[in-house]
Amino acid sequence: MAEMMMPLRNVFQWVSEFPTSIAIRESLFFSPYLTVAHVISMCLFAGLIVMMDLRLLGVGNMSTPFSELQKRLFPWQMLGMGMSSVTGLTLAYSDPMRFYVNIFFWTKMLVMVLAGINAWAFHYITYNSVVSWDSRATTPFGAKLSGALGMLLWAIVIVSGRLIPYNWFQN
Amino acid sequence: MLQGFFEAMGQWPISQAIGSSIWIYPLIQAIHLVFLALFAGGMMIVDLRLLGYGMRSKTVSQVASDARPWVIIGFLGLVATGVPQLMQNSTREYFSEFFWYKMYLIAFGLIFLFTVRRKMTQGAEATTASKVVGLISMAIWTGVTINARLIGLFT
Repeated sequence: MAEMMMPLRNVFQWVSEFPTSIAIRESLFFSPYLTVAHVISMCLFAGLIVMMDLRLLGVGNMSTPFSELQKRLFPWQMLGMGMSSVTGLTLAYSDPMRFYVNIFFWTKMLVMVLAGINAWAFHYITYNSVVSWDSRATTPFGAKLSGALGMLLWAIVIVSGRLIPYNWFQN
Repeated sequence: MLQGFFEAMGQWPISQAIGSSIWIYPLIQAIHLVFLALFAGGMMIVDLRLLGYGMRSKTVSQVASDARPWVIIGFLGLVATGVPQLMQNSTREYFSEFFWYKMYLIAFGLIFLFTVRRKMTQGAEATTASKVVGLISMAIWTGVTINARLIGLFT
């Protein structure tokens, strides 16, 4: 396993030696403020994703048809996603070797992929039938599943992200 | 005046219990962030509407009444996961300027929420006044979040 991961480890190692990576790592304030910006943009992204998932579950924002909610919130969710990605990637760029050895970092990355698959599957399967349940109080099973999975997976992303500083499993 | 209380709080058996485990405190911190997302989502969907963005097909008051239960659940969850962090960390937080900025901003934010913002969310359409209110509301709670994160980073 360790040998199989060598190319990836080499990339992380390589990036960690870039002058700008070193500069951010060694600056006293840049990383903390990036972390703060990451949390703020997470609020925008995850907050509005939850508002949509609650509607999919059939428990929140019920006075709005789902497609309406989705259409209106989408640009703001994408703004949050964009800001989270920029701040998150810069954080990873600034200290790749710290993240490379961190189990919570990889958990977060993996679960983000799963959350992406969930969103993709919803869009291409359940959303096709949206006209039949758009304004209904009871949403179909596929929508409920997708909403519940969305909330669960993004909650795991947030939790594992917050646990990155705790390196309990590192030697 | 409060210093004695904060020092005593750190000695409570329950505060000591939280501190005695390596994973209880980090997990509470992490769950605090999950409730933050719920609270922020409920606040922001309304603040965006006050600004004239987002859920424009509905009246301000409809958006606000849909969001209300989630704002309340989010806030209660934040308090339930915030107080144990304070108990375990009381002396350090007492001497953190960011902790006090956060508390003042929360106090101001709640007063604003139950007075000006409540009045404004009874309307139908976004107005100049509602835009100002939405902007102030967003600024206050963003300030709370910034200071909250800085407690852990700079003290």
